[in-house]
Amino acid sequence: MSINERVPVTILTGFLGSGKTTLLNRILSEEHGKRIAVIENEYGEVGIDQGLVINADEEVFEMSNGCICCTVRGDLIRVLGNLMKRRDKFDYVLVETTGLADPGPVAQTFFMDEEISSEFILDGIVTLVDAAHIDQQLGRSDESSEQVAFADVLVLNKTDLVSDEALNSLESRLRDMNRMTRIIRAENAQVPINTVLNLSAFDLDQILKRRPTFLEPEYPFEWSGVYDVESGKYELTLEDGPDPEMSLVAFANQGVSEQELKEGAEASVRLYAEKAKNLEPGNTIPYDEHVSLKLEEKGTKSFILVVERSSKVGLFTQHTAEEFEMKVLKVDDKKNIREIPLKKERNWVAEHEHDDEVGSIAIERFGDVDPEKLNTWMGRLLSEKGVDIFRTKGFISYSGNPRRIVFQGVHMLFTAQPDKEWGNEPRRNQLVFIGRNLNEKEMQEGFDKCLI
Amino acid sequence: MPDIEPFNPRGMFHEGWSAEVEDYAIVCGWALGGKLFIVGDVAGGVYGFEGDTGKIVWEKNEAHSGGLLAMSIHPNGNIFATSGQDGIVRICNCNNGEKIKDIKLGKCWVEHLSWSNDGSFLAAAFSKKVYVLNQEGNENWVSEEHPSTVSAISWSNKNELATACYGQVTFFDVANNKTNQKLKWQGSLVSMKLSPDGDIVACGSQDNSVHFWRRSTGQDAEMTGYPAKPSHLSFDETGMLLATSGSERITVWSFSGNGPQGTIPGELCHHTEPVSSLAFSNKGLLVASGSRDGSVVASFLKKDGNGDPVGAAFAGDLVGDIAWRPDDCALAAVNAKGVVTVWNFKVRTTSISKGFK
Repeated sequence: MSINERVPVTILTGFLGSGKTTLLNRILSEEHGKRIAVIENEYGEVGIDQGLVINADEEVFEMSNGCICCTVRGDLIRVLGNLMKRRDKFDYVLVETTGLADPGPVAQTFFMDEEISSEFILDGIVTLVDAAHIDQQLGRSDESSEQVAFADVLVLNKTDLVSDEALNSLESRLRDMNRMTRIIRAENAQVPINTVLNLSAFDLDQILKRRPTFLEPEYPFEWSGVYDVESGKYELTLEDGPDPEMSLVAFANQGVSEQELKEGAEASVRLYAEKAKNLEPGNTIPYDEHVSLKLEEKGTKSFILVVERSSKVGLFTQHTAEEFEMKVLKVDDKKNIREIPLKKERNWVAEHEHDDEVGSIAIERFGDVDPEKLNTWMGRLLSEKGVDIFRTKGFISYSGNPRRIVFQGVHMLFTAQPDKEWGNEPRRNQLVFIGRNLNEKEMQEGFDKCLI
Repeated sequence: MPDIEPFNPRGMFHEGWSAEVEDYAIVCGWALGGKLFIVGDVAGGVYGFEGDTGKIVWEKNEAHSGGLLAMSIHPNGNIFATSGQDGIVRICNCNNGEKIKDIKLGKCWVEHLSWSNDGSFLAAAFSKKVYVLNQEGNENWVSEEHPSTVSAISWSNKNELATACYGQVTFFDVANNKTNQKLKWQGSLVSMKLSPDGDIVACGSQDNSVHFWRRSTGQDAEMTGYPAKPSHLSFDETGMLLATSGSERITVWSFSGNGPQGTIPGELCHHTEPVSSLAFSNKGLLVASGSRDGSVVASFLKKDGNGDPVGAAFAGDLVGDIAWRPDDCALAAVNAKGVVTVWNFKVRTTSISKGFK
């Protein structure tokens, strides 16, 4: 049976009261023309017009080697095993897990059980989060952190009960824990059906399309803008923003190509590493220096930019220009004010503080890897840290192989299969690990040793 | 319905008959001394065919709402039992398929059924419990709750029932309501077969191994190296050979001498996809196998577990179950498309046919 013929399965998880049953009801009652089988282990009021609800005991099996990374769900195997015999009657399977359940054994079942994996394909893991209560739960319970770590989609539910500010900070915290996840805000679990079904969540290309920056390195700045300016004196103005100060590095002769912007970013990182010089409004911004613009005053704050000769001036700023309505203005002798348009702007992935034990690590490297070295490294990494690594996704370039290798895993279990040909695309490796207490530096060094 | 025509049988497989049932056929068996062939499908349909011709004798639709899970034919061949997702055990008459009695055990699935060898008892696995009924369907004994769902049951003698679940095999004396023995093993046991004398207990495990115990000596061993879980096991009539699934090969362990520990198993490589059913003939070292690729092969084995194919046919789709007629002169296979095929099985040499009709 080919991969495409396998029946997609979505795992729906989330804490008690997060709105799983409401979402299920929505999925089942919507006109989507699908025959959906729902496997659940909680009793609930669920409409079954278009689906079949099967109640199953929660039965987790540890393998004889005693490794908890290899646990599977016996009940799920039995129910799916029976369902697949009536496969032509179902297009989709939804597995709802109880509020306290670890999604691991459910997801692992699709890797560990050969009969199940030949008939079903794990499409994605959707985790419902109660925006009003998750913040407290994250600190206290391992399960809620794990549910966040496993998620391909996080539905941030009950947003009507929480302020925008609290939501933003929660979202940023969740994003830190799982950089690959897609976060959707919802009231009363009102989300478009296509955001939770048919995710192809293991398709890294799709994830990259959605969030092109998620594999990028983190920078101490969020934004850069390039202005094409004639020689003269300019004003940089900022309105009231979310922070009383903002770090900034200015470069003359900043190119606008992606490569040049990345070079500028790398140069900025080095300058940002140095202590910032405080700069009060009215002062001139020096080039090639880390400054901290003082923005405590109310109203428009203005700094001077002196351009000696025609140039492209690049600014690398701690916050985005939008947050402070930042502008570069040219004031001529007659006091006419002209705003200099942006030649190019780019957002960067800003560094976050990692408060939670659960987090994600991304590795991106150009070039080929030695398959044997990678196997050895990966084998050792997963056997030592398998318990703490919840999800692995990525694609790699094997030397001598014209096709890229796509892999994904849950704990110690992973599958790797050849995907599309590289063609003219530069050969590179992109890996993401989500887990607990991961040592980024060590993992990146380990991977680097696998490169040829 | 089938889109691939079964091709002509080869070797000792000869044209017999074929028929169709409504849905994926999952269980089958011979009754009335081989005069009747019964098939159960996943949707809950049960069908009785004339053993020689394949002519439909009776048909019962939706015997179990939600689906059928198991069937067991009484040793006398006159009655049979089915069970399903509706939590019901149904005892029926083989002659007309009519229900004799329904026994509602509860809301859970009744996944396994087995008549005891002398036909006095019918054991039914119901979630974490096992019920033992008499021929009339009255409750005779019920187990305590097992630590997890019972995954297999088997009678070791007329009063002793073995159950397998996650982590253990338990032997119950159902006549005296006591536990005779508990064999512990940290693992998810998914299948179980006992040797005919009840001494050897073989279990397929979720982690792709076969674990077995010798009750007389207390020895146990684990046979690993399977690519998939060995869900199908079959002992020959003497208990010397154990055929196991778990890949596209049939792995056969020989218990002659001190085996199978430290021995190399016999391997039969006839199928291109994993083996989905296995059955030793009633007499002799002849094993039939069905595969997910739709092929059915019969092989004669030697004492070491190796052997050669003697007949083959293509059943059209994943083989759900296979069954030798009591005289071993016919072999039946049912498949995922609901096709029922029966081949006449001819024996070539008198030395091998010893014990056959």
